[in-house]
Amino acid sequence: MDPFEIEFIGENRIVSIIPNFSHDKIFLICGEFGPFRAGLPMNVPLWLAVMLKQKQKCRMVPPDWMDIEALETIKEEEKISRFFTKMPHEHYMIEAKLILGVAAEDIPRAAEIKTIIKDIWDIRMSKLRTSMDALMKSGGSYGRLDHLTMMEINSVKPLLPQAMDELHRIKMMTRQTSSSTLNSSTFSQSGSSQNK
Amino acid sequence: MDTEDIELSEDEEEITAETVLKTLQNAWQNERLSPEILPHHNDMVECMLGQIQHMERNINKLPKTDLRSCIHKMELNRIKYIICNYLKTRLNKIESYCIAIVNEEKQRIESGTNYLTPSEFRYAQEYVLNMENHLKNTVLDHVPGNMQTFEFNKMAIYPNYQSHVFLKANETVNGIVLEDLLGDQDEEIDLEEGSQHILQYKPIADLVKNGKVQLV
Repeated sequence: MDPFEIEFIGENRIVSIIPNFSHDKIFLICGEFGPFRAGLPMNVPLWLAVMLKQKQKCRMVPPDWMDIEALETIKEEEKISRFFTKMPHEHYMIEAKLILGVAAEDIPRAAEIKTIIKDIWDIRMSKLRTSMDALMKSGGSYGRLDHLTMMEINSVKPLLPQAMDELHRIKMMTRQTSSSTLNSSTFSQSGSSQNK
Repeated sequence: MDTEDIELSEDEEEITAETVLKTLQNAWQNERLSPEILPHHNDMVECMLGQIQHMERNINKLPKTDLRSCIHKMELNRIKYIICNYLKTRLNKIESYCIAIVNEEKQRIESGTNYLTPSEFRYAQEYVLNMENHLKNTVLDHVPGNMQTFEFNKMAIYPNYQSHVFLKANETVNGIVLEDLLGDQDEEIDLEEGSQHILQYKPIADLVKNGKVQLV
């Protein structure tokens, strides 16, 4: 999938805004939101929040996790742990990118927060590269990836799955040449098939 | 402008538009990420298209400057994107693996477990026919007679079931057997609820179809 599609999925996340207008409840297909009361915080999907912000009809409320202290703790844990630690939520990077992109003035210490989130991302990506390397070197065809977010998983596509496919193909060939009974049907199948 | 509950006539089951949307989005995500074509969700697509039409009629009644109208339009565009992309992905797969899909689908229709909608199946059959005619007209008719037969089975391209996919377990599934090609030590793993893995598509193909795992 393309990164913009992951962003599209992440935009369904619910965030808090403070509208500067009043309006009755709106009944959307993805749920009911409202009523909008000027000055009172309320929850809407991220895509709607971004749209209202761009029309200057609301202020964004920083999500709970978008806080320097909390992020510092996450960063330290991520540095110490050998494994991936649990992120505030599945789409933290998308939420950060969109909110800091359109509403940086609504977030206290936005620049610092941006830096820390980028640091966390970098630590995790370098960890991901190391573990991919280890997985390939051990000739693995299986890996467990708890706590990796969708965007992070997507960033190693198609490299990792395709490398594992190739490894699998090599193993198949080794097995065929070493075994006396050639199983030609499975070979031609995996050879002529396409990667999606 | 309510999104009222929608009734599915076949099984008299009441589901909300919200649930339909969620199901469609998961189906779209799975279809995008799985190597083979998955069973269709035509009832959900039809249901959502009906809902969209209904919404669009209501939006047209609103004054152009109404804030609601642009919010609703934006949401509808998002849903249309999912549906279009879902259907296009399926058509792409049908075109890539047309011969294999038509052959397998014929067997599935007999057992009543078809993956394609009737119109998709018609499209697949016509695509195969057109391809055959095209190859005959451009190549086969101009080569020596003993080479003119069109060999379907040699032309068939199959999806790569051995390709590796990322998945998240929606519920705990125990005892997935991973084949060990070089040794004889087949490995067995458990997928705990909420855990994420990368592994071959083949052993988990059925779990994708019955919704126990979600491809990511």
